[in-house]
Amino acid sequence: MKEIKVEVMGPEPACVRCQAAKKVVEKAAEKLKQAGMTVKVEKVNIISKEIVGKYGLLVSPAIAVNGIVKVMGRVPSEEEITRLMKEAVK
Amino acid sequence: MNEKAIRKFRTALLLILVSAIVGYLIYTRIMAYSLAPTLEPRDFSKYAWYEIPFQFLWDYFSHGWICLLFAFVTAGLVYEFIPKQTITKYMSSSKVAGYAIGAGLAPFFTVCSCTMVPLFAGILYTGSGIGPAITFLLMAPAANILTILITGEFISWEIALVRIIVSLATAVLAGVVISKTSWGKAIEKEHQTSKNATVAQQRVELVKVLLDERLISALKFGGFLAKQILPYFILGLVVVSYVEAFLPQELVGGYLTGVTGVLLASVVGGPLYTPTLVEIVLGRSLLQLGMSKAALLSWLMGQPYDIPNMVAVSRIVRWKVVLTYALIAWACSVGFGLLYGIVTSSL
Repeated sequence: MKEIKVEVMGPEPACVRCQAAKKVVEKAAEKLKQAGMTVKVEKVNIISKEIVGKYGLLVSPAIAVNGIVKVMGRVPSEEEITRLMKEAVK
Repeated sequence: MNEKAIRKFRTALLLILVSAIVGYLIYTRIMAYSLAPTLEPRDFSKYAWYEIPFQFLWDYFSHGWICLLFAFVTAGLVYEFIPKQTITKYMSSSKVAGYAIGAGLAPFFTVCSCTMVPLFAGILYTGSGIGPAITFLLMAPAANILTILITGEFISWEIALVRIIVSLATAVLAGVVISKTSWGKAIEKEHQTSKNATVAQQRVELVKVLLDERLISALKFGGFLAKQILPYFILGLVVVSYVEAFLPQELVGGYLTGVTGVLLASVVGGPLYTPTLVEIVLGRSLLQLGMSKAALLSWLMGQPYDIPNMVAVSRIVRWKVVLTYALIAWACSVGFGLLYGIVTSSL
């Protein structure tokens, strides 16, 4: 089984909406883990040079699944992020 | 009912709701209702001290609720439907595009300071440099969609329009000047990533979202903004109600008019950190008490160099750049305040 890596990108210290995004992602990840998938959730700083170099200019909160930015500037629903994570390992 | 029908129904319902809000605002405009509060400073003398905030709040919300609702809904919609990816892509493509987008689109992009600092850093890192980054930073709080709508409805559209124009001039000027200074260039060099920004953009494949979900997310964001801003706004109104009731008119008329008024308003406007939108209410009250329109403009322009904002930015670009842009912003608020006063003979 392939691993799913989710990066939740927001400023440091985290803004309210980035925290909300992280919560949704963690909730979805927890459920997928229980279903036997390997999910890694990471909170990364959107203001770091590394992230900007990797993804370019982003609007926070942004969510990348396995190295591809899927969501930018909004908080997705748990349903949606679950679907995105599942698609990434298909 | 199948899922498609439910979605269609939901989309229609949401569109009706949004149209109703917009429609009602247009209706009030046609019927020429006043959306601005109607109490005058002297009206307060008939109330007991504890009644003042309630009367003031009632005055604001009974007239202005539709305007506030409209502002928050619009802010949510604009933020949701603005093509973020296109903008972020072009923003880092060249210097001129950077300035144009930084200045022209920042108002629509940022209604919430939590997106502002990251975008500022992003613009700086992705290669359009420190100039557009500073322009964006100064333009965003000075002329965002919430501020403009509320300024226009509660004070006057003339002031709102002038505020946009002078903020634009200030922001571009500050950006250009800083990009020419040696310390500005140093920061730019330090932060430039060698990687090409267009390469990075290829790793962005945003998922498409259906219209009903986008509308819900837009309204949610509007609600989120309201939740963030309104508590401070109401608290601010309580304080302002006492200012309007008890600050002697002679004092305001004596100090906040003429050249002294512009200078004083510009100095107080920045460091006196007022929560979003409260500066507009306080400005309106001071205007009622006799502050000149020129001083009001300087007062409103004082926002971008407020202290918390500067601290966040200074972590990225150091104090020298922050002080330079604060100084330029201050000088411009004085300069444009005086100019506006002379042109409209309202000094």
